[in-house]
Amino acid sequence: MQFNSNDFGSNLQSEINITPLVDVVLVLLIIFMVVVPLLMEGYDVDIPRASADTSAQVAESQLILSIGSRACPILTPPAGQGIPKDCQVTLADQKIPVAELPARVASMLGGRPAEQRALFLAVDDRLNYEGVLRIIDLAKSGVEDLKIEFVAAN
Amino acid sequence: MRLGEPARMQAAINITPLVDVVLVLLIIFMVMAPQMRKGPDVNLPNTTKPNSQGDERGRILVSIDEAGGLWINDRPVAPDHFDESLRSAVGAETNPKIVIRGDAKLNFREVWEVMVAIEQAGFRGVGLIAKRAGAEGK
Repeated sequence: MQFNSNDFGSNLQSEINITPLVDVVLVLLIIFMVVVPLLMEGYDVDIPRASADTSAQVAESQLILSIGSRACPILTPPAGQGIPKDCQVTLADQKIPVAELPARVASMLGGRPAEQRALFLAVDDRLNYEGVLRIIDLAKSGVEDLKIEFVAAN
Repeated sequence: MRLGEPARMQAAINITPLVDVVLVLLIIFMVMAPQMRKGPDVNLPNTTKPNSQGDERGRILVSIDEAGGLWINDRPVAPDHFDESLRSAVGAETNPKIVIRGDAKLNFREVWEVMVAIEQAGFRGVGLIAKRAGAEGK
């Protein structure tokens, strides 16, 4: 029956109420578990119009990156990460090692306004899809908001 | 001390049923989540910095499996009927976002042909889905 201040305090605030905390945390957990696997990542690309204006557009001062199966022999999924060192690509008619690609693309397109930063890709049919995506990834790493447009390889 | 006891007995809400229910919900969603994924299992290409392509729901998923088989959302389609299947999958949506989930083992030609087919069906711009290197999942 001794109501000193200590007794009062321990009775009233004896425990933090963790119920709302647990509630909120578990609901957040559920939300993330459901949403995260459904999120996707990738690359926005354009595909050429079948109509005639494509060739005219390409003929202008567009930056064309050609990836041939002879200079860049990625015919099976590349092991590990990155692109094999012996891969050479042709950027604006100049053959360069693929490692130089980000710097070259940046120097050629970095000065342009954002809506004109487009890279036209002519990719050999036989190349491995994963290898092509990795080259796109590399090309995009030099320039922000780089638009990728595929053109038919000769 | 007697006066304090009843108050102590009801001081804490019993959170056991709450935790119980929430954990059961959690398990249900854990079981359901893989089945909510649309389309076949595709071994996506690994890259370092893919951009976000948003949520799988609200996208038209065109999958190309390892053997080159085509899928639209969760149904396999014959290449001959790709156009009409794609149009019916898009339905009345005015600005559909189409993404391609291509297997890492494919040739570029197979992906290219699908891109051309999508373009011929009257759609412009696709997303090529990749997987961030080191990330979990399919």
